[in-house]
Amino acid sequence: MNLPGFILRNAFRNKRRLALSVSSVAVSLFLLITLQVALRELTNPINDEGSSLRIIVRNKVSLAQPLPVRQLQVLEKIPGVVAVTPFSFFGGLYKGDEKFTSFAQFAVDPARTLPLLADAKIPKAQLDAWIADRTACIVGQMTADRYGLKLGDRMQFTGQIYPCDLDLKVVGIYHGTADDRNLMFHQAYLDELLGNLGTVGTWWVRASSVAEAPLVTERINQAFANSSAEVRAESERAFVLGFVSMWANIKTLIGGISIVVVFALLLVTVSTMSMAIRERFRELAILKALGFRRRELFAFILAESFGLAMCGALLGAGGAWVMYHYLLNIQKLTNGLFIMFEVTPKMMGLAFSVAALLGVLAAIAPMVTVARTSVVQGLKTLD
Amino acid sequence: MSEPESIVTIRHLSKIYAQGDIQVTALDDISLVIAAGEFLTLMGPSGSGKSTLLHIIAGIDRPTSGECLVQGIDVTKLNESQLADWRNQNVGFVFQTFNLIPVLTAFENVELPLLLTRLGHAQRRKLVNTALDIVGLADRSHHLPKQLSGGQEQRVAIARALVTDPKLVVADEPTGNLDSHSAQEVLGILQSLSRQVGKTVIMVTHDPKAAAFGSRSIHLEKGELTN
Repeated sequence: MNLPGFILRNAFRNKRRLALSVSSVAVSLFLLITLQVALRELTNPINDEGSSLRIIVRNKVSLAQPLPVRQLQVLEKIPGVVAVTPFSFFGGLYKGDEKFTSFAQFAVDPARTLPLLADAKIPKAQLDAWIADRTACIVGQMTADRYGLKLGDRMQFTGQIYPCDLDLKVVGIYHGTADDRNLMFHQAYLDELLGNLGTVGTWWVRASSVAEAPLVTERINQAFANSSAEVRAESERAFVLGFVSMWANIKTLIGGISIVVVFALLLVTVSTMSMAIRERFRELAILKALGFRRRELFAFILAESFGLAMCGALLGAGGAWVMYHYLLNIQKLTNGLFIMFEVTPKMMGLAFSVAALLGVLAAIAPMVTVARTSVVQGLKTLD
Repeated sequence: MSEPESIVTIRHLSKIYAQGDIQVTALDDISLVIAAGEFLTLMGPSGSGKSTLLHIIAGIDRPTSGECLVQGIDVTKLNESQLADWRNQNVGFVFQTFNLIPVLTAFENVELPLLLTRLGHAQRRKLVNTALDIVGLADRSHHLPKQLSGGQEQRVAIARALVTDPKLVVADEPTGNLDSHSAQEVLGILQSLSRQVGKTVIMVTHDPKAAAFGSRSIHLEKGELTN
């Protein structure tokens, strides 16, 4: 026998409690990682090269305020602008969805949109069909899969923002973009339903290069400064982040839940370690009498506490990694609400750091008690 | 004939416990000399201070005043860490409730004090086997405490007390939880340790029959020596 062996024997002395304690740490860390992944997914939009080239132009007053269609001619002439299309968020409720439709519908000018959809893979015949038919639409592969859509199907939407409903024909299904969920239809069709108001929701602009994009953004903002419809141009990524910030304080909410999870975890681990040490108090006194010093007893307690927490981390964080990487199709499970759901090394590091901290903190109270108790007091403890 | 060498010398030892505003005197100005190789029994009624005296001699409790020299070292002056080392090298403990570690086998329980030494695995094994041999339990070395009888458990505890080859063995009512047959065996072992191996054994007991195994008996009452 050696000292590590002795620590292991002690740790496995009450197998049921050990299993329950490790499980509680594991489940809590699994939950912590899941929250972090969800937070990342919600607040960290995909940042590919395409999204760096694309610029969203919205009304400076508010996203809800439309922009005049006459701005198109000005935008097209701004140096560095390769393509511009109207980009109006319809926000309709798809027939059959009771409260929430998980994919966005955008009104665009199909012919002008093609350069902005450079990543999208879609047969040319379908693109041509879309351009040719005013009531046609294209949908992302994920949405098509979710609703079992095929070419020729009709889709009806009830307007939630605009006072009109849509009746669209699916003529194309695309894939290969960072988010294959969106539906796109003709701005002209929306204009017709609304009585040709001469406005669009936002403009979608493509810059000539990544380096040029910030300059183009600045030029657009300057071009409409002091006009009757001042604009705010920003990269697609910045726009999405700004959009997320409108969902109240989701970061604070998830952060708060994470702190509660960690705190509950701390209480469980401290309680477990305290119980484990309390029932061995007499034995620790015997070890002291036999010549074991405080630091050796501290090492026993710390090793056991740390080991318990790290086993929980291995199971919980490791389990989350395996589950989200290999076992679960989160896209399918959440009906496309979450796309990546990726456990990053940073999150694994966070989980193991939390576990390590818990292991140390949970050992402190028992160590203080052992340090304060003399051999004679310990020997008087009832078994 | 020369006087036997003393192993324990106690001078004006007092121990006072403070319980709130009340002070309880457990030991009152005790002076005592214990010779090397002696089997001394400490007797007296409950609360007379005999266990407290034993604990101070063994270095697991501290007096309020006075000196306690064991092999010339005043154990009352050692700090916690020094005391732990000193106990490991110089004192073997036998308790009333055996106090074996339940998850360790008899062999591993006996080996426990040796984990603090620099001895190699083979050396430890040899010493443990010798100690178990002395108490007649070599064939039970791989048994867990729950697989042993009370008497056997106490013999394992004695083997654990002997394995570091200490000069001093202290036993606090070692037969209190044993039947008379097992008690005779344990007392016989302690007696032979004193007579044949030359260990100094100090034993606390209530039982005059157990005390009869000792070479000398002293009585305490209300913290004072009465003989």
